[in-house]
Formats: sequence, structure tokens, C-alpha cells
Amino acid sequence: MYKFLFILVSVWFVNCAEQVNQQLINRNVERTIDLTSQLVKITTTITLENTGKESVRTFLVVVEPDNVGNLSYISVKDTLKEELKLSATKVENRPNQMFSVQLKQPLAAGRSNVVTLETVITKGLVPYPSSISQKEKQLVRYFGNHYFYSPYLTTKQTTSVTLSSRSPENYTKLKPVAQSDSTLTYGPYNDIPAYSQDPMIVHYENNSPFLTVTRLERLIEISHWGNIAVEENIEILHTGAKLKGSFSRYDYQRDSSSSHHSIKSYRTILPAAAYNIYYRDSNGNISTSQVRTRKDWIELELRPRFPLFGGWRSSYTLGYSVPSYQYLFRRTGASYVLNMRLLDHVFDDMHVEELETKIVLPVGVRDVVISPPYEMERLTDQLSYKYLDNMGRAVITLRKTNLVEQHIQDVEIVYNWSTLMLLHEPALLATALYILFIFVIIYVRLDFSIHKPDHSKKE
Amino acid sequence: MVQAGSKKSQITRINSKTGINSLIIFVVLLLAWIAGFSSRLFAVIRFESIIHEFDPWFNYRATAYMVKHGFYNFLNWFDERAWYPLGRIVGGTVYPGLMITSGSIHYVLHLLNINVHIRDICVFLAPIFSGLTAISTYFLTKELWSAGAGLFAACFIAIVPGYISRSVAGSYDNEGIAIFALQFTYFLWIKSVKTGSVFWAVAAALSYFYMVSAWGGYVFIINLIPLHVFVLLLMGRFSNRLFTSYTTFYILGLICSMQIPFVGFQPIRTSEHMAASGVFALLFAVATLKYLQSILSKSEFKSLVIFGGLVSAGIVFLTVVGLTYAGYVAPWSGRFYSLWDTGYAKIHIPIIASVSEHQPTTWFSFFFDLHILVATFPAGLWYCIKNVNDERVFVILYALSAVYFAGVMVRLMLTLTPVVCILSGVAFSGLLELFLREDDTPRNEDSEDEDQSPPNSRRLYDKAVAGRVPKMKHEQNKESDGIGPNIRSIVTVVIMLLLMLFAVHCTWVTSNAYSSPSIVLASYSSDGSRQILDDFREAYFWLSQNTADDARVMSWWDYGYQIAGMANRTTLVDNNTWNNSHIALVGKAMSSNETAAYEIMTALDVDYVLVIFGGVIGYSGDDINKFLWMVRIAEGEHPKDIRESDYFTEHGEFRVDAEGAPTLLNSLMYKLSYYRFGELKLDYRTPAGFDRTRNAVIGNKDFQLTYLEEAYTTEHWLVRIYRVKKPDEFNRPRIPVANRVVKSQNFVSKKSSKRKKGTIKNKPVIVKGKRLSTKQV
Repeated sequence: MYKFLFILVSVWFVNCAEQVNQQLINRNVERTIDLTSQLVKITTTITLENTGKESVRTFLVVVEPDNVGNLSYISVKDTLKEELKLSATKVENRPNQMFSVQLKQPLAAGRSNVVTLETVITKGLVPYPSSISQKEKQLVRYFGNHYFYSPYLTTKQTTSVTLSSRSPENYTKLKPVAQSDSTLTYGPYNDIPAYSQDPMIVHYENNSPFLTVTRLERLIEISHWGNIAVEENIEILHTGAKLKGSFSRYDYQRDSSSSHHSIKSYRTILPAAAYNIYYRDSNGNISTSQVRTRKDWIELELRPRFPLFGGWRSSYTLGYSVPSYQYLFRRTGASYVLNMRLLDHVFDDMHVEELETKIVLPVGVRDVVISPPYEMERLTDQLSYKYLDNMGRAVITLRKTNLVEQHIQDVEIVYNWSTLMLLHEPALLATALYILFIFVIIYVRLDFSIHKPDHSKKE
Repeated sequence: MVQAGSKKSQITRINSKTGINSLIIFVVLLLAWIAGFSSRLFAVIRFESIIHEFDPWFNYRATAYMVKHGFYNFLNWFDERAWYPLGRIVGGTVYPGLMITSGSIHYVLHLLNINVHIRDICVFLAPIFSGLTAISTYFLTKELWSAGAGLFAACFIAIVPGYISRSVAGSYDNEGIAIFALQFTYFLWIKSVKTGSVFWAVAAALSYFYMVSAWGGYVFIINLIPLHVFVLLLMGRFSNRLFTSYTTFYILGLICSMQIPFVGFQPIRTSEHMAASGVFALLFAVATLKYLQSILSKSEFKSLVIFGGLVSAGIVFLTVVGLTYAGYVAPWSGRFYSLWDTGYAKIHIPIIASVSEHQPTTWFSFFFDLHILVATFPAGLWYCIKNVNDERVFVILYALSAVYFAGVMVRLMLTLTPVVCILSGVAFSGLLELFLREDDTPRNEDSEDEDQSPPNSRRLYDKAVAGRVPKMKHEQNKESDGIGPNIRSIVTVVIMLLLMLFAVHCTWVTSNAYSSPSIVLASYSSDGSRQILDDFREAYFWLSQNTADDARVMSWWDYGYQIAGMANRTTLVDNNTWNNSHIALVGKAMSSNETAAYEIMTALDVDYVLVIFGGVIGYSGDDINKFLWMVRIAEGEHPKDIRESDYFTEHGEFRVDAEGAPTLLNSLMYKLSYYRFGELKLDYRTPAGFDRTRNAVIGNKDFQLTYLEEAYTTEHWLVRIYRVKKPDEFNRPRIPVANRVVKSQNFVSKKSSKRKKGTIKNKPVIVKGKRLSTKQV
């Protein structure tokens, strides 16, 4: 069921050490490094060739040592755009973090195959200078590798780096290199041995929002009355260059240019059926937001209470409801299945440092089976009590760090639940009222006074 | 209501009507509650469920603290985030009734797993208690006059603006529950005087205990009830009932009230409470005399009264004076004096005078807050005086004293409002009883009752009544003795119209005057669309997110509670103005020039300074307009450094433009308010630096700040926050030692006892043929 696998702190996961198959070579590698946003998105098209005698079923992908902690997402697709199965592995005598990729069809001897490797790296762009004044532009440095990092020999490779500015301040010039508009092209480089590294540094202007969600708590509450409530508690931090010196409202109001390193507003996409949307923080409603209904989704333009400059943080709560028929299905008899996003869109090119998703199931569920789309840490289950509950509701908590847009995927939860539980609380309430009335009736009919009052009650 | 009232006399005749009667009462009270509750929701509907203004923010913060940490921790709470560096003992300086009330509601709801946020309980507490106030007013009026008058009074108090002004949703303040406690205590007191039963007196004492825990206004009760007893004694209305109820009430109430930490030993040690104990002693003296009278002969008794009376009066008086001098009994406090002499506060306590709600009341606000009730309540008072009995003496005294206090201070309008409602209820009930009396068969009346009571109660909804009035007219065309049917119907219609106007007025006042949360401002543009100015919360939230957790924020005291509540940062002074000299110090910093202010600010460890500036949007309640109070309060403590006259021009004007006094133009408050404002051009018609609040171009436009820097300014410039620089940050940038070109050195004098000649440090060494260079080590 797992489409991709991802390593958190996978010490225990590595048990099978592999050998590097020296018969495989990278015939041609074309890399595109997209540096226009706050993320580093690398798309690599690899032409694999089997120069050996036997056919090969798997090949290896290595994570560069510099990126080990920052790799957020990795996937390999074949020419038909189908996902290939990845599994973490280890190679003898190499400390590198590696993935073994299983090919759909074994690669016969002498044949070649094209696969696309996609990785997203967070925190790969470092503001330099690290603090700037309000009027200055935000410059960042990218530290990368001129060569494609691979356990195999690479015969030919080219790398193109897409920047967000036409005039980079500086970049390493390992010839041949060319610059046209906002694209740097490195290579072709020929016959690069395995595990080659050569530092590439690009220093350029990047005013795209450097906004990090430091913590996202997503709470999903399921009601079989037809409603699923979603609430997200979001803490954000501007991780770009820090603001140096004072903030001047006067200068800020005069400066109307759209590309500024401060963040005024951003867009959040919600499901098309979302209603009862609220946007608030600990001090109440934040009045500066706009909801626009698009054809297939709802677009929410959120403005934090104040513009965010480097190093400034903010937090808010965003909540909405969706009808349950789109997400909750009945399988057979008392078995239900819920398909709900573990993480939803916060803003474009987002980076979530820590996600905690809590799913509150209805009262009285049994046999809960969870299938997350990727590996997640499951914290201990809790019980939560809502209106008049006497039996708690099971709360499932899932946690994961370092996520990007590609992680917006559905979790599947299957559970058994009896429809009679719908009547649980009305019955409870009715019984309570019944007992109350009985007591009142008894109290009114009987005389509890110690002695009989001499005078009749006053009118 | 009137029907119910007039019905009261008939109940004796027709017992079967009790059911329908109580149903009417129940329905009317329920509707009064609902109407009172819903008319207080304007702010919630227009804005959101939010705590209003200033003091409620502290109450909310304290409640949230109590809910989180428990009651005992709350009582022991030392708040180090207020009054830096002094701190505040919150548990001992607060009336905890409000927090306990909402805390227990929160507790009960959470027992039922209804997870309501404590903020929502706080927001809706006052509207809910307004219903309870209406019910206790009904009971009080019923005891005083009749059930019909009670229903009138309940409906009046549910919607009267004088009370709504303190109890709209979100206005989470002591008064919201205290008026209920006040009315309920009075009801129980009246009940106990009427019955002479210990039970009711104990209930009154417990209710008084709740009142003491809720509001400082309990002093009003503990003076009014003794006054009632005293006047009854003077009128020769002593009875054993009175003796039982007062002695029980006083002793129990005294012991209970001393349980509140903030009150402590005040009830036996301050002059404000002495009247109660004096009356207590007097009551015993009278009771003793009455007893002696029954066993002594007339002449013996006469001499005993004269001799004993003189001696005991002398002893009591001397004891009080002696105790006051010895310091056991505190003399009247300043706030108390200001109730007798309206000019007192202005001269002696500027901090009290600076609060707008402590100003004397204008005639206009009597009408504004009470509308027709202000005209009808003397009639009710007259009815009471004409048919006086023990309990009506009480309401007469209540009315007279409350009228006086309401005239002295706008804020005390609140204590007047309930009695005005009671007496107006009496007046309307009396009027309608006269003009609406029916001599028809009971069956007819019965149907009429059902018809009329809902419209009466729905008088609260202005529109509902409008449709009913013609029907009423039609119905009143029945004849009876004494007054002709025409006069009868005309009077009835006029009364109905008046009541309708009253309902309309109440709704209008509530909606327009009393439903603004004041931390969110709304403005309407020319096309009618609403624009929300959320600058306060913007600034407070910025403070809470982007400053160090222990940062200390200096601002004028008005904003102390809001900073603590919304930004959760340490403040120097806040709305609990207990330390005048600390406030004066902040006032001095604000009114001095930057250098002098910097010294004060470093002494107080200030990290940020927050000022409110309304010049961009024309907000009149900003700090420049309050500035003279800061100067006055600072002058009171530091007369050598700050003089109010320095801030006026030669003609005695307070101006911010070029002709303004130079001291003003260079004061810290001026600079912080107008920093870089001189460059801002608001629109094409006005020059740059035009202040919309004061309609003037500012006088000091081009200046730099040396010791502070702008940290944040909100969107409409309403709140401006400055960071106080550390000593190494201003004048010149600090260079790390490693990067210094000129290294500092320890200079050792080469002068000794032998060599008297001194040397010049870094003296140029002149070598022939070479360029001049300084010697460097």
C-alpha cells in the first residue's frame, strides 16, 4: 500500500546491506534544480544502462551527505510516470543514506531505461547576508553539487539551475557553464566517477516567501450526523533573512512593489465543499481574510495580523467543516472507511517542520485500522470527551516532521461502528431529564417540612 | 403585567386563577430574560465573541488563570507581569466573586463534557446575569408593592440602558453580577424585615457575602441597610422583627465579608463601615430601653433614658474618635471624600479625576440612560411615601441616596438604575391599576389576561408592540366607575406609546452607544461598506509573538490590562492604579525629553514603549489627548522636574503645531507619537504631517530618535511600539574588540618622582626626511 517510503530516523530500518552493482552506469543524466521558491526541487532524468551480463531488478539512489537531514521528499518514476517502489537500504562501507529502487521490469543486459528522480530539499537556501534592513533585497546562497551524486559511473551529465532573478550575484564557474536569463547551465560533464562531489554555490536574489510552518496541528472530528470538522493550529515563522534595525511603517506604506521579502498575505486552498470557515488566533477573529469560491476549490486569502519580516513569527487557527459523504463511506455492514487528507495545503511551496494530525473517531468505534500513505509516527491513542459524552471518543494521533506539498495525501482509516450509537446521546439526555422530572414530581407532591406551618402559604 | 397586578387583589376571590397567574408571571419573566439577553448581543453579532475594553481583560485573564491553576493558586497568585518591578498580589487585591462565578459555570459545564471555552463563558456572563437581575428585581418589587409592579420593574431593568451599559456581552466586569447580588440582597433583606425570620436574614447575609466577593460597591449596602434601620428607629417603628433581622444580618454579614482577602479587616477598621456597627449598638440600646420600659416606672425610665443616652452616646463617639486617632480605624479614604465634594478629586487625586467615568453626571445622561423612567420614578416615589410602611422606607432611602450618588459620578448611575426601575414599575402599575380596572366578569378578564400579557412583555421588542397598540385601544373601550371610557383609553394609549418609545430608545442606545468593544473599531466608508480597524489586536499580537517572553513594555496605565491580557507581556503600570508614584514615574518619562526619559527607562528596565496615536485616522482617545493627565500626575510626585505650565503656550493653550510649547514638542510622548509622521501625506488637500485628531500640522517634524527605534507600527498608525536601545547601540555602533583598529591600552604614566616631566600620549615622532606619523602601539 505504501507508495513511497520515507526515512525519519531510520536506524532500525536498515538491516539489509547491499552491494553496489558495478555493471550499471548512468548513460545520461539531466538535472533541473529549481531554486525559484524557498524549496530546492531537483528533477533528475537518468538513463540507466546495464553493461553487465545479467539482468538487473533494482538500482540505488543516494542522498548527498549534505542533504541527509533536509531531504523531505523523494520519488522515482518510470517513463510511464508510474511510481517505482523505494526502500531504504545500506551499502557496505558507505555511510550514505540510500534507497533501493525496484524496477517494474528487470533491465536486461545491454539495455537501458529512463527513470525520473524527484527530490525536494528544505532549508537548502541560506540567506546571505543573514540579516537585512527593511529596504534591502533578500539574497540567498545555494550550496549544491556540480555533479550528480550516484553510486554509479556517470557518462554524461548536464545541470540547469533555475533562479528567481536574472542577475545572480555570484556562482561557481566549473566550465562549461552558461547563463541565459535566469537559468544557469552546467555541463555537459563526461565520465564522472561514482560518489563525485564538487561544491556548487549560487548566490542570487530570492524574494519569494520564506515561510515555514514550524508546527501544524490538524484536528479532524468525524460525526456520523453528516459533518466532518477540521481545525488546524498553525505556527509560522519567516525563515528568510532577519530584519535588521527598525521597522518603519512609513517606508512600508510607500513601498508598493510586489516583490518584497516581507510576507503580507498568502493563499490557502480548501476543499470545495468547505463551509463554516473561521480564521482566528488567541485574541479572536482575524478580520483580514477573504474567501473566494473557485470551481474546484475554495481559495482563502489569509493576511496575518501583521506583515511578517525575517525572524518574525505568528500563529493562527483555521477551521472549517466539510460534509461527510465525500470522505466517509460505508463498506459492508458496520464497517466504515474514511479517506481524509493527513495534511492540507497551507500555502504554495510550503514547508512544514512538524505535523501532528489528530483524528477523533465517533463514540464506540472498534477495530480501527489505519493506512497512512507514508510512514508516520503513531503516538499513543487518547480519549476525548465532547458534548455529554460518557464514553470517550478514540483519538488517533499521527506525527511526522519535514513535509512539503507532495505529502498532501489521503490517509485511510477503516473501523467498525454500529448505527445505534447515533441514538446514544439523545437517549442519555432523555433519561437524565426523565429522572429530573420524576424527582421534581416527587418533591412537589410530598411534604418535607418538619412541622406543619400554622398559616397557609401567602398569596 | 398590570393585569397580573390588578389580578392580585382578585386572587383571594378566585383561587383557581393562581395557575394562570403564575403562568403569566413565568412567561413575562422568561421573555424579559430573553429580551435582556438578546439586546445585549449587538457587539457579538456585529463583531465577535470578544472581551471588551480594559478592566474586563484583567478579569478575563484572572479567570483563565484560576481555571487553569485552581482556586487556591489563584488566591496566592503573585503576578510578576504587572507593575514591574513591584509585582502585584492579585489574590489579595481582587474581588474574586466574578472569577468564581464563571469558573464554577465552566466547571459544571466541563463535568457534562460541554467543552465551552472560558472566554465564551466570560463574554456571556453579564447578559445571563441580567436575566437573574430582572427576576430578583421582580421579587423585590413584589415585596415592596405588587406582582404587577414587579413585572413592570423586571421588564424595565432587563432593557434599561443605564444597566445595559455595564452588562453587554463581552463587558466582563464586576458590575455585571454585582447588580444582581445587590437586588437579591435587598429582596432578602426586605423579606427578613417583613417576616422577622432568622432564615431570611441569614439568606440576606449570604447574598451580601456574594455581593462583597463581587464588587466594592457592597459598601453601599452596608450603609444603606443600617440607614434603613436607623430611620425606622427614628420613626418609632422599632419591632422585634427588625431587631432579629438586623442583628442576624449584621453579625453574619460582617464575619462573611471579612473572609474576602481584599476586604479583610476593613469592615471593623475603616470609617466607611462604622455606621453599620453604630446602628448595631444603637439597636441594642433601643431594645434594652424597650425592655426596661416594660419593667421600670415612668420617672425612673425617663431619667435613665436621659442619663444613659447621653453617657452611651458620648462613649461611642469618643471611642470612634479615639480609635481613629490611634490608627485602629482608618479615616475616610480619598475616593470616599470625592463622593461628597466633587472638586476634591480634581485637586488631590488627579488619577481619579482623569477617568471619564468619575466625572459628575450631566442631565443629558440621566435621560439618555433612563429615558421616561427618569420622569416616572418620582411618581413611584410619591406613591411609596404616601403609603409608607417598613419596607417602603427602605426603597425611599435607596432612591434618595442613589440619586445623589448618580449625580456625583457617571459611574454610579448604575446603582440608581435598579431603584428607578422599581419605582417606575410602581408608578406604571399604580397608573394602570387606576385606568385599567375592569368591573367585568372574571371570565372576560381571564381572556384579556392572555391577550395582553405577551404584548406587554414583548414591549421589549419594539416592533411587536407597534402592531398591538390599536388592539389595546379597542379593548379598553369598556366602561367602569369613576373615570370615563375616553379618558381611560386615551391614558392607556399614551402610556403604551410611552413604553413603546422607551423600548425603541433602549434598543437604539444599546446599539449605538454601548455595544462597541473598543478594541476593535469599525468605520463606514461612503458606500456603506464597513471597514474594521483592528490595530490594537494587531499590535498586541505582534508583541506576543515577536518579543522576548520577559520583555517589559512601558505604556500609559490605560493599556496595562490589555497588554497583559492580549500580549502576555510584563507591564509597568496598569488599570489597577494602586501605586500612584509608579504611575507618576511613567508619566514623568513620557513628559520628559528623550535623554531624561532614557534614564528613567533604563532604571525601570524598559524594553519597549507603546503609545497610542490617533492622528492618522482621527481617533480622539489617543495618548496625546491624555497627555496633560500624564503631566499632572507626574507633577504631583515630581514638582521640580515637571511643570504643567511648561506644556502650554504663552496664551495658555495646548497645541501640537509650530506654536506649541517647546517642552511639549520635545517630550518623549510627542516624539514617539509623531516619529516620521511629518513625512506622511494623508491626502492631497492637507500638507504633510497633518494630524487629523487635532486638526493641525505638527510643529516638530524632522527629528531622529537617539535612544529608541521604531519596532512596530500598526496599519493605521494607531499603536506604535518602540524598542529602547541598549547603551551600546546608540550614537555609534559598537565594534567588537577584535576588529578595533585602535586597541585600548592600559596607560602607565612614566612620571616618577625623578622624572617630573610628563609625556604626551601618541605624540608624533618627527624624524627628519620622513612623513609625520603617529606612534602606535
